[in-house]
Amino acid sequence: MATPKELSDFLIAVERRAFKQTAYAVRDDHAALDIVQDSMMKLAEKYGDHPAAEFPMLFQRILQNTMRDFWRRQKVRNLWTTLLSSFGGNDADNDDYDPLETIDVEDDSDEPSAQLARSQTIKLIERALEKLPARQREAFVLRYWEEMDVAETAKIMGCSDGSVKTHCSRAVHALAAELRKQGLDKLGLSNAIFNK
Amino acid sequence: MYKKNMENEKNINLMDNQVISGIEVEGQIAHNIVELLNSRAQNLSEAQAQCLSAARSQAVNHLAKRQLALAADGSISRNGNALRWFGHHVGHYFEQHRLMSAGLVVLTMLLTFVAVQQLGGSSNLENSDAFLLASDLPPEAYADKGFDTWLDTN
Repeated sequence: MATPKELSDFLIAVERRAFKQTAYAVRDDHAALDIVQDSMMKLAEKYGDHPAAEFPMLFQRILQNTMRDFWRRQKVRNLWTTLLSSFGGNDADNDDYDPLETIDVEDDSDEPSAQLARSQTIKLIERALEKLPARQREAFVLRYWEEMDVAETAKIMGCSDGSVKTHCSRAVHALAAELRKQGLDKLGLSNAIFNK
Repeated sequence: MYKKNMENEKNINLMDNQVISGIEVEGQIAHNIVELLNSRAQNLSEAQAQCLSAARSQAVNHLAKRQLALAADGSISRNGNALRWFGHHVGHYFEQHRLMSAGLVVLTMLLTFVAVQQLGGSSNLENSDAFLLASDLPPEAYADKGFDTWLDTN
């Protein structure tokens, strides 16, 4: 059985990555925070008696399932919203929208120009990642970002090893193509993949 | 900045000239992307970091409380561990498979209903057969609609 300290250490190590991964998938920071919070609680509630070594896989599984639940709920909510909005007129809610509120303020500790270039590059990568089909993004995140092996990724995704490899390969190709389209060859991302 | 770009260009050319297997290239690209994403993940806003920290504390506290409760439970009664284990695991299974559990309950109710119907129906049938055979009147008399009126008038 894992101790609270082990759980805490594990969550400290993964929480930021988990949040960003979820945010790329659901494209909503508030929803992403809720999902990560739910996942943490589920891990503690239902799998707290498991050894700490099992936490990475269990947590990823819970996170992916919670994301799926969110999408299901979102689908139903969208259906109702569409139905109800067809009866209503123009909404004035968007008047309050201020684009300045959505601008991220970066921590510029290095050279400003280098920071800017890096930040722009990361934003392009994030956008490319958001554009990926859900399964490809899931495979990429688990396999490369969470550094799980093919078998573990397949187990979490509920598919075969071969499918994981295919999803990963397609994801990397799609990301590389998208980044190249944005002129990001200078990033150090190899373009050898295009010459295969 | 210029020097860095030049170095990057050199790296690209070197890599392009080398014959590297597709998987290695994919891995390298993925590695570079993940490195950038990781740096981004470490620079969350203060509010987001606080939310995550609060969520973590909540989860850890929950586990700590649960373990304390289990320890207290164990010290009060050391007997009945097998039963508690069974109860915990069966309960956990049903909690995990809610739909299946609901289906199981419905199926059990349905089977019980059918079984009751079958058993009750057959015993009634046997009783009525025995009654008809043991009766002084022939069975046709009960099927005759005029028999009851005749019985009343006499």
